[in-house]
Amino acid sequence: MRSNLLALLTSGGVPPDWSTLLLTILLTPAVAVGLVTLTRTRRYAEAVTVASVLLVVVQTLALVAGVILDGQFSALGGFLYLDAFGALILIPIAAVGFVAALYSVSYMGLQFERGVVDDKHIARYYQGFNSFVLTMLLVPLANNMGLMWVAIEATTLVSVFLIMLYTNQGAIEAAWKYLMVATVGLSLALFGIVLFSYSNTSISPAVASSGSGLDWTSMAADARLLDPGIVKIAFVFVLVGLGTKAGLAPMHTWLPDAHGEAPTPVSALLSGVLLNCAIYGVLRFYIIAQGALGVALPSELMVILGLLSMGVAAASIYFQKDMKRMLAFSSVEHMGIVSLAVGFGGFVGLFAGLLHIINHAVAKPLMFFASGTVSQRYETKVMKEIKGVIKTMPITGAFMLVGGLAVAGMPPFNIFLSEFLVTTSGFGGGQFFAASLMILLLVVVFAGFLRHLVPMIFGSAKGPGISVAADVRSGGHEELLAVLPMAVLVTLVVLLGFYLPQPLQTLIRDAVQVFGQGAPAR
Amino acid sequence: MQVPLPTLLTLTAVALLLSTFGVVVRRGFAGWLSAYRYQSVILAGSAAVIAYETGFWEIYVAAVLTLVVKAVIIPRLLVRVTESVRDEFKIEANPFVSIRLSLLISALLVALSYGLIRETLSSASLGVFAVAYLPVSLSLFFIGLFVMVSRRMALNQVVGLLVIENGLFLFTTALTQGVSLIIEVGILADILVGVMISALLLLRMSQTFDSFDIASLENLKDD
Repeated sequence: MRSNLLALLTSGGVPPDWSTLLLTILLTPAVAVGLVTLTRTRRYAEAVTVASVLLVVVQTLALVAGVILDGQFSALGGFLYLDAFGALILIPIAAVGFVAALYSVSYMGLQFERGVVDDKHIARYYQGFNSFVLTMLLVPLANNMGLMWVAIEATTLVSVFLIMLYTNQGAIEAAWKYLMVATVGLSLALFGIVLFSYSNTSISPAVASSGSGLDWTSMAADARLLDPGIVKIAFVFVLVGLGTKAGLAPMHTWLPDAHGEAPTPVSALLSGVLLNCAIYGVLRFYIIAQGALGVALPSELMVILGLLSMGVAAASIYFQKDMKRMLAFSSVEHMGIVSLAVGFGGFVGLFAGLLHIINHAVAKPLMFFASGTVSQRYETKVMKEIKGVIKTMPITGAFMLVGGLAVAGMPPFNIFLSEFLVTTSGFGGGQFFAASLMILLLVVVFAGFLRHLVPMIFGSAKGPGISVAADVRSGGHEELLAVLPMAVLVTLVVLLGFYLPQPLQTLIRDAVQVFGQGAPAR
Repeated sequence: MQVPLPTLLTLTAVALLLSTFGVVVRRGFAGWLSAYRYQSVILAGSAAVIAYETGFWEIYVAAVLTLVVKAVIIPRLLVRVTESVRDEFKIEANPFVSIRLSLLISALLVALSYGLIRETLSSASLGVFAVAYLPVSLSLFFIGLFVMVSRRMALNQVVGLLVIENGLFLFTTALTQGVSLIIEVGILADILVGVMISALLLLRMSQTFDSFDIASLENLKDD
């Protein structure tokens, strides 16, 4: 693996072989699962996991460079495939995976020292963590949509496994609901995917005999020829099915439970990364559907689901009591915004939607990390019982303030930028009602967030009913491995608010082009 | 004796529906499992018929895998895991919807499936297998879903999910003569791991809540 990378970096004039990287990036976490299983000691499992995700980050950067330079490439006879859109989804998996691995060392370490989990749990946790990264990496790399489905279903199973690491009643309830709802949803999605494949194979015997009927590239190439009647049903199936997994209302019911009860680093991955993988699946089929049906019907469906998600989330955030559930509902809101942005469409809408995926993936894990550290210190997730974080833990408090304002859509942070672009595209595309409603809901969310955030951060820590646990390990000072991941994310949240690096801009631009592939001329 | 193909297709379709009704009318876990086992055997048989007629060897493999995983491994696994659980947790004494009404609703769902397929896919020129099996596969999906939401026992939700997955396999095989074998294996692996994880969760549930009643799973909510 390493020699491969070195060869890549030193290849000089020879065009590098990107497709090998598609395999090694999947192999890295798989090897890590094996290593963790073999040794089962805590320190070793932590080191292996951090190293493995770091390698994934390096390979992701190389793949992104490859996509920017060469467009797209495939491996295993077209089974795996990466283009700009896939590469864009790959970035948060690697980046958030890395900071979550670092944060895990601190968070799970403290849980271990407090006796919440034991050695066996820790080994299981890191096995699950690496498997989770592996299955998520497979989603944007799969060209065969059946394989993508298998990968998404596998993410459900692995994350259920991670949630039920804690054996309390809440975790079991959340894991059960998540497993049942997500699996039924995904079954529905598979019906849709098979219908897409059927309409693809039925138009051309060549596709049928080569067995590439499930390949996204083959479907996208034929998009205009597909039977609109079948594609319409198929897209609705996929939208409802994968939309369940992406947390779009009204199929979001499992999400606040699962995200709220998971171990905090896993919550960050579920919210910041896994939801992207699911919405990525929806959008891949959206591209084909708009080719077959024209853009009107699919985009209308996306706008409706987007507004519904924002509405449900706004109400739930305003009246929320539990910190992590509030963050989970905020994820429903942001997936709604992505859906809305794609529905508004046009270059600006699509650009804003894809940028929003990245922005949310940076800001939400930051909030989960901060809330995890805070709830470990205060030993509660109930927001009323958390006061004066800025005094008890100044660094985490400051990060939480920045993250909270960013997630709520306050300028000059990154989320404001993409939300602003989304509304612009809405008004620009003549969707006045939807865009106005979106602004209204954003205001409600903003008010809801401030209502909860201000007392938590600035309130008096000495009030009745507030108990700050004596920090077992560090006697009050904040631990480096908990603060460092947040610091990385805070930097990105602030930086991306006013400056988009050129490579990222190019990548998103190229990804928007992917949407044009199957689209009729506007 | 040579049985003509349309007769064979109709017979297997009817047998599949009957086994699904078996899941609906039984009250006990052993009953559901044996109905599910019959269903999986017939499902493997249907796949073998499609394989024989179309000559794709991959479908034979998928049929054998279905037989082994769904008719042998999964039922055994579920029986093993629930051995330690008290018998009263394995019986659906008081479902949300009575058994008699459930049967009626299931019959309506079958009618709905036939109607839906006729309405939506008539434009496409469906193959002979699709005509025979698609409505059945949709029925399995609907009835599986109905079983999941109309019963109290968490075990029922697992069985409902398995019935849905059987419907999915039938749908895939009948409509597109099976997605590629690798994907088929992947799907089966997902199902197997899914059953293991739900079995683990069931065990935890019986220890933590001392019940399989899903009414005890309603503590997480926003108020």
